Amino acid sequence: MTVRATHVGPFLVLLLIATSARAAPPADLGGPLGQAAGPGFAQALAPRAFAFPRDHAAHDTFRQEWWYFTGHLLGPGGERFGFELTFFRFALAPPDAADDAPRSGRSAWRARQIYMAHFAVTDVAGHRFEFAQKLSRGALGLAGAHDSPLAVWIDDWTLAEGPGARWRLRASEPGYELRLDLAPAGAPVPNGNAGLSVKSAAPGSASYYYSLPRIVVQGTLTRAGQPLAVTGLAWFDHEWGSGALSTRQCGWDWFALQLDDGSALMFYALRDRAGHRDPHSAGTFIDRQGAARPLGDDEVALEPTGSWVSGDGVRYPSGWRIRVPVLALDLSGQPVLADQELRTSPRYWEGAIDFKGTRAGAPAAGRGYVELVGYAEERRQTGGTGAHGCVAR
Amino acid sequence: MTSTLRAASRRHLLRHPAQLALALIGLSLGVGSIVAVDIATGSARRAFELSLEAVNGAATHQLSGGPGGIDERLYPRLRREPVGAGSAGPRFAPLVSGYATLGDRTLELIGIDPIASAEVSAGTAAPGVGVAGGADARDWFMRPGAVVLTASAAGQLGIVTGRSFELEIGGVRHPAFLAGTIGAGAPGLDGIALTDIAQAQEWLSATGRLSRIDVRMPPGAAGAAQLARLRALLPADVEIHATRSEARETFAMTDAFITNLKAMSLLALLVGTFLIYGAVSFAVLQRRTVIGVLRALGATRGEVLRLVLGEALLLGVVGAACGCLLGVAIGRVLLGLVSQTINDLYFVVAVNGLAVPPLTLVKAVAVGIGTALAAALIPALEVAGGVPRLGLARSVIEGRARAIARRLVLGGALLGGLAAVIVAVSGHSLLAGFAALFLLLLAVAAVTPAALRALALAGARLFAGRNAVARLALHDVAGSLSRTGVAVAALGMALTAMIGVAVMVESFRESLREWLTQSMHADIYVSAPGPSGDLSRRLDPEVMRSLLATPGVRAHSEARRAVVGSPRGPIELNALRLVPGSDAAFRLTQGDASGAWAAFRGGAILISEPLSWRLDLHPGQDLALSTAAGPRAFPIAGVYREYGNDRGEILMDLDGYRANWHDTELGGLGIYLDPGVKAAAMVQALRAAAGGRQALFIRSNADIRALSMRIFERTFIITRVLYWLAAGVAAIGLVSALLAWELERSRQLALLRTLGMTPAGTATLVIAQTLFMGLVAFLAAIPAGLLTALVLTRVINRRAFGWQIDLHLSAPQFTNALLLALAAAFVAGVYPAWRGARAPLARGLREE
Repeated sequence: MTVRATHVGPFLVLLLIATSARAAPPADLGGPLGQAAGPGFAQALAPRAFAFPRDHAAHDTFRQEWWYFTGHLLGPGGERFGFELTFFRFALAPPDAADDAPRSGRSAWRARQIYMAHFAVTDVAGHRFEFAQKLSRGALGLAGAHDSPLAVWIDDWTLAEGPGARWRLRASEPGYELRLDLAPAGAPVPNGNAGLSVKSAAPGSASYYYSLPRIVVQGTLTRAGQPLAVTGLAWFDHEWGSGALSTRQCGWDWFALQLDDGSALMFYALRDRAGHRDPHSAGTFIDRQGAARPLGDDEVALEPTGSWVSGDGVRYPSGWRIRVPVLALDLSGQPVLADQELRTSPRYWEGAIDFKGTRAGAPAAGRGYVELVGYAEERRQTGGTGAHGCVAR
Repeated sequence: MTSTLRAASRRHLLRHPAQLALALIGLSLGVGSIVAVDIATGSARRAFELSLEAVNGAATHQLSGGPGGIDERLYPRLRREPVGAGSAGPRFAPLVSGYATLGDRTLELIGIDPIASAEVSAGTAAPGVGVAGGADARDWFMRPGAVVLTASAAGQLGIVTGRSFELEIGGVRHPAFLAGTIGAGAPGLDGIALTDIAQAQEWLSATGRLSRIDVRMPPGAAGAAQLARLRALLPADVEIHATRSEARETFAMTDAFITNLKAMSLLALLVGTFLIYGAVSFAVLQRRTVIGVLRALGATRGEVLRLVLGEALLLGVVGAACGCLLGVAIGRVLLGLVSQTINDLYFVVAVNGLAVPPLTLVKAVAVGIGTALAAALIPALEVAGGVPRLGLARSVIEGRARAIARRLVLGGALLGGLAAVIVAVSGHSLLAGFAALFLLLLAVAAVTPAALRALALAGARLFAGRNAVARLALHDVAGSLSRTGVAVAALGMALTAMIGVAVMVESFRESLREWLTQSMHADIYVSAPGPSGDLSRRLDPEVMRSLLATPGVRAHSEARRAVVGSPRGPIELNALRLVPGSDAAFRLTQGDASGAWAAFRGGAILISEPLSWRLDLHPGQDLALSTAAGPRAFPIAGVYREYGNDRGEILMDLDGYRANWHDTELGGLGIYLDPGVKAAAMVQALRAAAGGRQALFIRSNADIRALSMRIFERTFIITRVLYWLAAGVAAIGLVSALLAWELERSRQLALLRTLGMTPAGTATLVIAQTLFMGLVAFLAAIPAGLLTALVLTRVINRRAFGWQIDLHLSAPQFTNALLLALAAAFVAGVYPAWRGARAPLARGLREE
């Protein structure tokens, strides 16, 4: 059932573009998905007091939502892996209690939600990166989400609540099967302005966004039929909203770094059509006690130190220097594997990195995940020159 | 020398353009008819293949359930199962299908999940419908009534994207709109309306059910292992089969039909062969003087042989080329008839493209050229083998012809015997049946020349001393057997086929009429519209109650049709609750009548003749059917006559069906009226009672009989077209052969004129000769035609459809053939008669 990097046709491409990354879909796609917000959807306009566990579950009154797990795993012989497991929800229409009510003659296939999931494993020692995608309507139990107990799933790829409020992740693709037990350490950390993450100046172009930056995980990674007991550290992001990026924005570079000293840094740099950083770029620093400090665009300096070109010519930055002067943080990172591109529709690069540097003069190091979105589209739009900046579609 | 030969050859052909043209026409028609039939059937078959492939074309397997389809809960369960076990697993796409009417067009309504369909076709070149026609996702999923058609179908229906229209499904009208179109490259989808699976379930009243689940298994050993795992997961009432075998199963339905068409085209070619033989051999024989001179001048036997065969080759090439063009043109016309027939009898298939398989053209050209060469070979050997300078004396040739005719009688007898042996030993083989039929026709052709000679001599004796001209004419016919024999044999064979086909068609028609009369006991029949066996064909229970409450209804029978699985493939099942005493509607041809009906009520099944024939099932045996609780063996209590379905069907008691398949819907009612109530008025009353809630077929049994007969007639239009085509080829052959012969006899006619015969007398002589030959061909065709009819009904039809047909004879079956024979003979005689009567004597005498 796993679909790997397949051509799914324009209808689905549209859907995927709309939901494939952490920020809201670009507004200029045309059609229903490009509208700033569909009529009838709730809007992320003001900060919100998160209530857990309810807010871990789906928010169907908002147009899109995602549950994003990335992490680093170690096997018994020191084998190192990275993984990404993400569930996306995209609403075709806001809930309508009267219409949704079961009644005679109503098909159980009627759906207002489309779910998508991506699963990727970075096998560092094996120099392999494998990814897979699932897509399904939220109907008939094929895919969906519910809150008590928490569950988000497509087919047999699941996020489920186990005993003792622990979570379980399960996904498989050809060659790899992952079963993880998650023990979230600390309370969820709201990003942005008390959870309201503003993506552009347009009203409603915002989402609710919180993170669990350090989740201790253990479980089994089955590689080519051989089960390996693994342990590690994962990062969880949950974001929902109804807005879209502004017409000027066309991609982002997102960083989630877990430092060895127990602190963590999240930062996303939005790019405009000219390839410049958008002032709405933002981040959060979480200290080892779990206290969060929002970071503004002007507080983080980000520069690529290298690049990687995919087999068919899409150029991604590869290697970065990140400086946060207010935190006296100066880090340099490198991907553990150059090719961690998900050749889905649309394409993006999401991969494990290692970084090291200094914090307040002392040596600092850690692991992280980076997501690079919009590069394949930029190339397409600018005729393959690889130059930054989207052209109006 | 060769160039001289060529020049002589060219001059001759140019001086006899009519002969050349006739030979070409005959050859073209023969080749054209085989091309046309191939194209028509090939295009229909291709369209059917495309529509199979159009939806989830990359699927390797299909899951299908009982008559009610598959419980939809199986689908998410399968998607969750790790069938792939660490490697790429199977992909599944659910499908809900039924039929919808848009305007006057019936479309197959297919509900898909575009996401799953895209997964099944992903990464393959197979056409798929995952794209859902570029429809806006929100329209497709959220707006009620979203339908996607092909651009060409939408264009034909005059619908543009966004336009609203009404779809009639199961007699109920639903609002719909065109959400998008599928462009080029989806030819098989022209007869299909795509909609979301949820919408399809709601429209077809099939919530909770799937018609099938398409599966794409990975290739190789991994796929085989996964298939075994998948099989183990399936509930008892769900079967998995390879998509190709499904296609083959459906083709089996049409194969009989296609073979029928092929036989007709082969017949046309066979007759065409005689025509070519006639034309080519005359072309050669007429030139024996020239050739004799050329031989005397030093042309070798090989050179002459090469010349003549070269001419035949050229003729064959040109005729075959013309035949191919002609065939494409005729094929276009025929295609409409073929697809109409397939739609009437089998399934909805939208044929929109003419497929011209290259192999067909190669085959037709090869047959055409081969026939021309074969036809030229014998006369060419005769000419080339002759004594130089003189050519063969007429008497020598005719002496040989008489010897050949005598040998042919023996050969004909052998061929006839062989045909009988083949019929006796070949069991169910349809192909062997056709082989026997052709041997029979050849036997007729072989015997005809000898019969012609015998009859002509007998006639001449009869006229001896009474009418010198008649005697002379008949002697002449007998004496020129090398020409007359071939022409009459060709015509005789065509007439034989005509009579045989006419008798067969009429016998079939009468048997059908008797069956309809006997089997329809109810006064009025009510049924939901839709193809037979389609479950969306259900009567609305409310509407049904209103119908049965209408005053004048005395009693009613209930029926439900479904297609059920069996180890022998899907079989149509007719579940009935009969009105007491209406057992006689079914004429049992095997099994004990009283016992069979008692067993039927006790849970046994009856099977129709075609099913009994096709699967070799007989009373006393069991037939396993896939019920809701898995396979169950049902005893067969009897076999009944049924012409409605050439694949055969099962008759089962309605209560038994419901218990085994949990399907409580009804598809049809038979309504019995109170004495004195008029059916026509009652039909109106029942339509009023349905009150526009459901569009139902409500028809009196007389109407249904008429309708059935109309469909029957339409089915045989193709047979009729080919019948006249074959007859036309034969008639042209006769005209051409006799024309050449009579023209050759100019000298003889001139001699008769100098001996005192009047021009009118000469004309009468010529016409009398050709009419006599037409008559002989007809006389030979009567017994041969009857024999052919017998083979067609008892062997071919039985083997093709399993139907038993009673032979019905009538005068028109024969008079048509007689008229054709005489008309062709007359036309063949008119010009030579006119010429023979008018030609200057000196010129006529100078010739030869």
